Amino acid sequence: MKRLMIVLLSIFLLVSVLSFSALATKVEINFIEAYTNPNRKILLKEIISDFEKLYPNIKINLISPPYEQATQKIVLMLSTKQPLDIVEVKADTIGLYVGNNWLFNLENYLAAWPDSKTLLPAAWQLARTVDDTAYIIPSTVYSRTLYYRTDILEELGVDSIPKSIQELFEVCKEITDSSKDQYGFCFRGKNQQIDNIHYLVLPFLDDLNTTNLYRKTDGKIIWDDPRVVEALKLYVRLFKETSPKDSINWGFNEQINAFGSGITPIILQDADFIGACDETIGRGKFMMAPTPVGPYGKVYVILYFPSLSIASNSKHKEEAWEFIKYFLSPEVNAYYTKNNSLLPIHSVTFEDDPYFSSGIFTPWAYMMKHPEMYVLGQPPVVSPKYAEWMQVSNNDLQSLLLGDISVEKLVNKWVEYWQ
Amino acid sequence: MIKSDNSKIFLVMIFPSLISVILLTFVPILRSFFIAFQNYNFHDLSNIHFIGFENFQAVFNSVNFNFSRILLNTFLWITVSLFFQFVLGFGLALLMKEPFKGRGVYSGLVFYPWALSGFALGLIWAWMFNGQFGIINDVLRKIGLIHQNIGFLSDTRYSLISVIIANIWYGIPFFGIMLLAALQSVPLELYEAAEIDGAGYFIKLFKITIPYIKPTIISTLLLRTIWIMNYPEIIYAMTGGGPANSSNILSVQMINKIIKFLNFGEGAAIGVMIIITMCIYVIIYLKIVSREELTF
Repeated sequence: MKRLMIVLLSIFLLVSVLSFSALATKVEINFIEAYTNPNRKILLKEIISDFEKLYPNIKINLISPPYEQATQKIVLMLSTKQPLDIVEVKADTIGLYVGNNWLFNLENYLAAWPDSKTLLPAAWQLARTVDDTAYIIPSTVYSRTLYYRTDILEELGVDSIPKSIQELFEVCKEITDSSKDQYGFCFRGKNQQIDNIHYLVLPFLDDLNTTNLYRKTDGKIIWDDPRVVEALKLYVRLFKETSPKDSINWGFNEQINAFGSGITPIILQDADFIGACDETIGRGKFMMAPTPVGPYGKVYVILYFPSLSIASNSKHKEEAWEFIKYFLSPEVNAYYTKNNSLLPIHSVTFEDDPYFSSGIFTPWAYMMKHPEMYVLGQPPVVSPKYAEWMQVSNNDLQSLLLGDISVEKLVNKWVEYWQ
Repeated sequence: MIKSDNSKIFLVMIFPSLISVILLTFVPILRSFFIAFQNYNFHDLSNIHFIGFENFQAVFNSVNFNFSRILLNTFLWITVSLFFQFVLGFGLALLMKEPFKGRGVYSGLVFYPWALSGFALGLIWAWMFNGQFGIINDVLRKIGLIHQNIGFLSDTRYSLISVIIANIWYGIPFFGIMLLAALQSVPLELYEAAEIDGAGYFIKLFKITIPYIKPTIISTLLLRTIWIMNYPEIIYAMTGGGPANSSNILSVQMINKIIKFLNFGEGAAIGVMIIITMCIYVIIYLKIVSREELTF
């Protein structure tokens, strides 16, 4: 009898343990990031750890491919239906992912999320980039601004920071002295040179279609407009007369080096340049200013918006959404963006925290307060031609700057490309 | 002739390797051939279909990337790299053949480039050739050869030769190692006999050394040509094929088509062109040299 009791008790205990284990089974979700860098990864892991304490039945595996290969890795995983739940999306890949039905429609989730009411209008607009449907939610927004070396410009006697593109050229030319290895503008010629064109050429037109900046409001392609031709000629002069010739082969690392060494103390760059500058020269030696405007007193601001989405074949959409809600809540988003020198996506954060309107954020705050000067717009990132366009335009612009083709030939080629 | 029982054991033993080679090499190559004739583009995966030779035509007739320039660059990349890698590698092997104090350590240092990844090597050379901060410009200025910095990687006149120099540096150890091993197998009695007959250094080199190690020379040249053709890492890291296509070669363009443009059809078409070119080259090469001279 005693032995029977022990056996029954053991079976009962075993069944209880197994049942409890089944009930307490953790859901594992995979989160792949697209903007991997060491500091950001530490921050993300910290936020994930805090989330997992609040939701002990959800475990998040963070996948961090190297930055240059992130898009290829994500495309491979989504196309082969590997288990992915949360996907970080770059702006120029939204069209690709949505076109292949790889992302889940988040409209219903957004409608039921109380914090969505405080999302910035820009965040809503960007979330609905494709088909006017929210497949993504931006985790931050930023644009290019003007960075300058306060110490170097003071030494060189520059007392006024350029507000227009013409002023930018004049200031850079004034401080350029190639015999002393001193130049003005920090060019980026190796890749993504088209971003220079967006900020230094497009502002020479005042009638652009803001949903497709390569078309005017009358539907015509912009590239052979006489104003674009003049702007491109100034662009060539900016390179030839104010930048080192070698900058035609400069990428991000070379730009950090050149700005840090003071050879080129003025640059147009994104928010991720802040972290690089903090590491190389320290916060005290550089400052930012609003992006220079064109002759019409405005510039088309292209917002970069790393975003989160849910993979359409995810088997844990609810759990993935729980994390996204947590990560993009005003409190966590403020913490994340503050530690990343980025802008938050909730209006309440700007109202409650003066940090985001001061110091290095002053130019962005100024730009947001003057939408008539800093007009939000987008190039045709969802077009299938855009992926190849990055390489094609870079090749053509290098040829232009090297004198292999004329401005007129370049614009005719671009008109044909976008017909 | 292998006996029947032994042949079965033989087949069983090589079966796993054979399956791996087929699955990991021949199946992807065959698949690439199919993709080269399809509009396999990641921007429209729902519409993949046979399009004949359109991918090849798009690559040949591209207005954005001058194909004839890419072909010329590829030819120069292979021939110039191969020539100097072989000559300098052979010279290194001849020097290393004779024992000297510290030869072991020196060998390790000299053969070190071969252990580096091509991408890391490309980044190192990119900084060395940098027009503002590069050590090469610094040294050339200090010794008075130039008075102004040269934009090695930003000037279309120098970009191709700059990446070739990096490739030469990388490939010298391969020829050095292989030819040194071959040189050490040449019987010393042959040299002694030649010396007795009054032969000098160069007669011994051209009449004894080179003929004796000819099979190794032939096989290393064959392998190295194929590897150089398919080796885009250095160019990818240093210039990306620029500026303005001036250092672009077939394998770099193939990678750009796949990774940047996500156009697998055109990328596969370039891959097929590379494979066919290499097959033709190997067939002609093997016909020119007699088969029994090859050792692997």
